[in-house]
Amino acid sequence: MISVKNLSYVYSPKTPFNTQALFGINVDINDGDFFGIIGNTGAGKSTLVSHFNALTRVQKNSGTVFVDDVDLSAKKLDLKKLRAKVGMVFQYPEYQLFDDTVEKDVMFGPKNLGLPVDEQRSRAKAAIELVGLDYAEIAGRSPFELSGGQKRRVALAGVLAMRPEILVLDEPTAGIDPIGKRKLMELICDIKKTCPTIIMISHNMDEIASYCNRIAVLDRGTVKGVFAPRELFGSRELLEKCGVELPLVTELAVGLADAGIDIDRSIIDQDELVCAILKAGKYA
Amino acid sequence: MRDMTIGQYYPASSPVHRADPRIKLVILVLYMVTVFFCDSFLSFGFMTFFVLVTVFMSRVPLLKVLKGLKFVLVIVLITTLLMMIFYTDVNAEPIAEWWIFRIYLNGVYAAVKLAWRLLLLILMPTVLTLTSTPTELCDGLESLLSPLKFIKFPVHELALIMSIALRLVPTLIEETDKIINAQKARGAAFESKNPFKKIKAMIPVLIPLFVSSFRRADDLADAMDSRCYRGAKGRTRMNKLKLRVGDVVALLGWCAITVCVLFLKYNWFGWGFIAAWGL
Repeated sequence: MISVKNLSYVYSPKTPFNTQALFGINVDINDGDFFGIIGNTGAGKSTLVSHFNALTRVQKNSGTVFVDDVDLSAKKLDLKKLRAKVGMVFQYPEYQLFDDTVEKDVMFGPKNLGLPVDEQRSRAKAAIELVGLDYAEIAGRSPFELSGGQKRRVALAGVLAMRPEILVLDEPTAGIDPIGKRKLMELICDIKKTCPTIIMISHNMDEIASYCNRIAVLDRGTVKGVFAPRELFGSRELLEKCGVELPLVTELAVGLADAGIDIDRSIIDQDELVCAILKAGKYA
Repeated sequence: MRDMTIGQYYPASSPVHRADPRIKLVILVLYMVTVFFCDSFLSFGFMTFFVLVTVFMSRVPLLKVLKGLKFVLVIVLITTLLMMIFYTDVNAEPIAEWWIFRIYLNGVYAAVKLAWRLLLLILMPTVLTLTSTPTELCDGLESLLSPLKFIKFPVHELALIMSIALRLVPTLIEETDKIINAQKARGAAFESKNPFKKIKAMIPVLIPLFVSSFRRADDLADAMDSRCYRGAKGRTRMNKLKLRVGDVVALLGWCAITVCVLFLKYNWFGWGFIAAWGL
C-alpha cells in the first residue's frame, strides 16, 4: 500500500532553473492494484514514482509518502529494505546491464541486499525463468550479445531477483514491436502472481485500458483524478477534461456508435467488442 | 551531477554575449599575456577594474562569475600559503617567525600578487564560457586556426570533434544520472567511505556508460553518413561569423590596456608617480 499525501516537488530549488514538477499530489495505491499512471510528457509521472523507492527524497514541508507503514519523508530510512520492497524498472532498462554474464548481472540486486551466494544464485535462476528465458542457455552468456527484447527481460529479471512486493514499471514496452509488446504485457501479468502490486507508467492507452484496474491521470504536476478504466474511457467529458486519447478498441466502438450502430461506447476489451459487433449485426 | 556549473553558459542579452567569438578568444589570449606582465598592485588593480567592467557589461550576476572560482579557490589558497612561508628575503628582517618558518613583508606582497594573478587568470575564461555557447567558441576557434589548413592541419575535423564532445557532455551527465538511479534501485550503494569500495561501486555505472557512448557514436556516424557528410570541403555555414565595429573597438581597447600595463611595468619615461606607487 502506497499512500501519497499532498506531495510537492521542486527541481533545483533556489536557483534560476527552479521548476516545480509536482503540486500537492494525493494518490492511494492499494495492495493488489494494477495501477496505471498516464499523462503527457512533463506531467510529473516519473518524478512521482521515483519517490516510491526514495530515489527522489521527499522535500521539506512538501507532503508525505507512506509505503505500508514506512514514512519516506523521515530523515533516516532503511534504503536497502525499501528498494528490495519497491522494485523499479526504468525506461529502456537494458541500458543498465553491466556484468560479464547474465547470471552475475541478475545477481547484482540480491548481492547488494547482502544475501548468501547460494540464495543470490537461486534467486537469479528463478527470476530469469520468471521472465521467460532459458536459464541453462542464457545464464553464462554476456548480456551485451543478446537481442534487444532479451536484454530487456534480463534487466527486468535483475529487479525481480530482489523479490519486490511492489513493482514500478516506467514505460515497459517502449521501443518494442507490437507482438513483443503483447508478450511482455502477458509476462507482466504472470509476474503479478508473485509481486501483487504493479504500478505502470505508459503512453499506450491500449495497454492501460486492458490491464490496469485503476488509472491516475496526471497533468502538469497535478492529479486530474483516479478512475476505473471504463469510467475514464467511457466518459467523453472526462476524456476531454483530462486530454486523454482513446484506446484503439474504444475508438472503434465510439466510431461505430456514431455511425448509428447500437454499441456501448465504453467498451475497452477486444473480445467484448467482437461480441457486441456480432450482436448488433444480428439485429440489424 | 546535474548541479555542475563549470563552463555553463549564462543566457543574457549583452554586448559581451553578442561579440564575435574570434575577437573574444583573441582578447582572452591578449589578456592572459598581459596578466603575466602585471607586477605591481597598481597594474593588478588596473586589470581588475577592466575585468569588472567586462563582467558588468556582460550582465552576468557577479556572484555567478565568482562561483566559477569556487573550484580553484583551494589551489589558490595553498599556493599563496606556500609562497608566504617559503619566501626568503635576505635584505630584510622577518615580520613574523615561528619554528622554522620566517615570514617577510615582501613575501606577503609576493603571495598576495600571486593569488591575485591566479584569480585574474581564471576569472576571464569563466566570463568567456559564461557569455559564449560552446558552438560559438568552436566556430571561433575553427576560424582562427584556419590558416593552419595550408600546412594540411585538419582544422575542421578538430573543431568538429570538439563541438561533438562539448555537445555530448550534458547528455552524458543525464545518462550517468539515469544509470546511477537504475543501479541504486537495485540496491547499489555509492555512499561508501572506503575509496576502493567506492571505485568498485562505480563499475556498474561506467560500463553501461561506455557501452552507450559507443552506441551514440555509431548512431551519430550513421546519421552524418546518411546526410552525406564529407567533411569541410564545400561546406557552408548556417551562422557566418561577422566582424562588427564594436568588436574591433573592444579589441583596440584591450590593446590599449595592454600598452598601459606595459607602461606601468617598464615606465619608459621615468614618471615619478609610477615609481612611487608601484609596489
